[in-house]
Amino acid sequence: MHETLFIVGVNHRTAPVAVRERLAYAEGEIAAALARLKAAGPAISEVALLSTCNRVEIIGVGQSAAAAGAQARGFLAADRGVAAEAFGPALYAHEGRAAVRHLFRVGASLDSMVVGEPQILGQLKVAYAQSAEAGTAGLVMHRAFHKAFAVAKRVRKATLIGHGSVSVSSAAVSLAGKIFDTLTDKTVLLIGAGQMAELTARNLKRLGIESLLITSRTFDNAVALARELGGTAVPFDNFGPCLKLADVVIGSIAATRAVLGPEDYEGVIRERRYRPVFLIDLGVPRNFDARLHAMENVYLYDIDDLSAAVQESRGEREREAGKAEEIVELEVEGFLKWLDGLDLVPAIKDIRSSVEQLRDGELARHRAWLAALEPAERERIEALTRGLVNKLLHRILSGLREGRSGAADGVHAAEIARRLLSSELAVAGDGFDDDPDDDEEF
Amino acid sequence: MITDWIIAALICYALSTAGFVMERAGVRGRRADWATGLLGAGAAMQTGDLIMRGLQAGNIPVTNIAQSLEFLAWLTALAGSVLIVRWRMRVIGAFVSSIVLITLGVAGAMSRRGRIVMPQSLRSAWLPVHVTLALAGYALFVLAAGVSIVYLVYEKRLKAKRPLRPADERMPSLEKLDRINYRLLGWGFVMLSLAIVTGAIWADATWGHFWSWEPQESWSLVLWMLYAALLESRLTVGWRGRRAAALTIAVFTVLVGSFLGMRLATPGKHGGNFG
Repeated sequence: MHETLFIVGVNHRTAPVAVRERLAYAEGEIAAALARLKAAGPAISEVALLSTCNRVEIIGVGQSAAAAGAQARGFLAADRGVAAEAFGPALYAHEGRAAVRHLFRVGASLDSMVVGEPQILGQLKVAYAQSAEAGTAGLVMHRAFHKAFAVAKRVRKATLIGHGSVSVSSAAVSLAGKIFDTLTDKTVLLIGAGQMAELTARNLKRLGIESLLITSRTFDNAVALARELGGTAVPFDNFGPCLKLADVVIGSIAATRAVLGPEDYEGVIRERRYRPVFLIDLGVPRNFDARLHAMENVYLYDIDDLSAAVQESRGEREREAGKAEEIVELEVEGFLKWLDGLDLVPAIKDIRSSVEQLRDGELARHRAWLAALEPAERERIEALTRGLVNKLLHRILSGLREGRSGAADGVHAAEIARRLLSSELAVAGDGFDDDPDDDEEF
Repeated sequence: MITDWIIAALICYALSTAGFVMERAGVRGRRADWATGLLGAGAAMQTGDLIMRGLQAGNIPVTNIAQSLEFLAWLTALAGSVLIVRWRMRVIGAFVSSIVLITLGVAGAMSRRGRIVMPQSLRSAWLPVHVTLALAGYALFVLAAGVSIVYLVYEKRLKAKRPLRPADERMPSLEKLDRINYRLLGWGFVMLSLAIVTGAIWADATWGHFWSWEPQESWSLVLWMLYAALLESRLTVGWRGRRAAALTIAVFTVLVGSFLGMRLATPGKHGGNFG
């Protein structure tokens, strides 16, 4: 019978974080949960569990997707101790084609909150590895996951879905990479310890900046952040000399007028020997005078510039997502064909062995006079019958595989073919007088 | 003389230019890879040509402007390939391959048919040394100008606040472009200096005087001083980035003007008049 893929779960679109966090599994809990899931009933034959900030999904295989889905849903409610009503409306259940498509879209980051973000593929790989390790992944899941990874790779290669920056801080970091070749010998100055400034500083720090200077109206805040990020706190009314050192300056201070203007940089540029300066203004109202941008080798980007860049790359990703969906659709088709073929396997085996048996039977029946022939002649008769059988099988089997039987269901067609050729009939056929393979024919 | 080697090289350079331009225009695929390969293939074809004609002439074949241009195209293609592969400077590919194509095309159009007659005065071991140094210097200045053009284009994009488009994602940083420009200028300057020195030594050995104030010599001195000033401004005042790039291009236009002007207008020893 049919092995079908199913997916039951919630994601960032269907459920608020209050629901998602109650259903979520920590990485260490997953192995045990998989075992419980498998033990919960016979409807599920293979299963994996994907739990991230944005989604909790049970991905599995069962004879009846409906029964398996119901079992998974019941399990989730019972295992997490959440009343089914609490997450019922948020839950989606996909089966068959829809489930395959969903899996491929998740892997290709088409279902992500930020389309094209790369983490989800890694998370999916972990989910698969856990399932394989727990022994709850079988033939269909292995193939489905590997295919999902391949689809993700193909999408990433063929589209621009993972390009551009999708947050203000990552846009700032990516801009820094356009100005500076390396950050390892650069100094960053933080004016104000706002949250977005801190995030940007963290991102820059991760890329290995040499030193980080922090100044803030409240000196204690600067000290606290400096301690946390491994920087140096500088008194606010005395940060002027730092401008000479700083290659990147991030402003996020609440001020009614600009804290830095062209007059502050006039001498500094020469003292810096015209090395480029990247000014990131995250403050509203703006911290840096816009005229700074006109100065030589000074690049000033304010929050609107960065947001515009973010908007643009999001738009670009959405456009690329269309191309990606087409790739996914093609791959879903390919996978389902393989899955259908898998259903045909038992019937095909039977058909093959029935026909082979027929041939063996006929050869055995004529053993007496075959034995009297020259070995070379006997070889040729062997080859002739083998060829005939193979040609016949090829026509039947390729017809079934490619769905040329005309029947709506390939498995049904295969079943009919199998029954028509089954050994009982073949045995009965032995007695028929109008058997075409008669002695006279040879 | 246009040999089959040169025709093959021209075809390679033309296809390479097309590949790099397509890559710049955003056509997806591995265009830059085969465009780089074609640039190398063109240089290889030219190598074949230079060997054949060099063997025939008994020295490196540089007796007139067409041959000099051809040699320059070859050196530029070689140095450009190194820059593209070793320094991952694909962005400069379209510039390198197109300028090599034009230079070699002009050289081919100007060249005269027939065997190279190597004048007695050029049958010297100093010829390959002096000419290779001078033209290698020029090739590096060509590349420096190309890098500077790329710098100005990208700098303008950063000033226009539009560098975050996905298509621009792989553009090299300004810092890297600036550093490569500096290195190319530095090495070009070294080559030019050595070319002037070897030229003087050779002139002394042949004509008995180091310096005769013929146009090429004067202009070389002018260029030498301009490039020295360019490097000096970076080392002392710290002029870099936009200003350095603009000045590199300005000095390069002087170089092109003097190179072409002299050889087309006033034939001195370098113009093929070997007295």
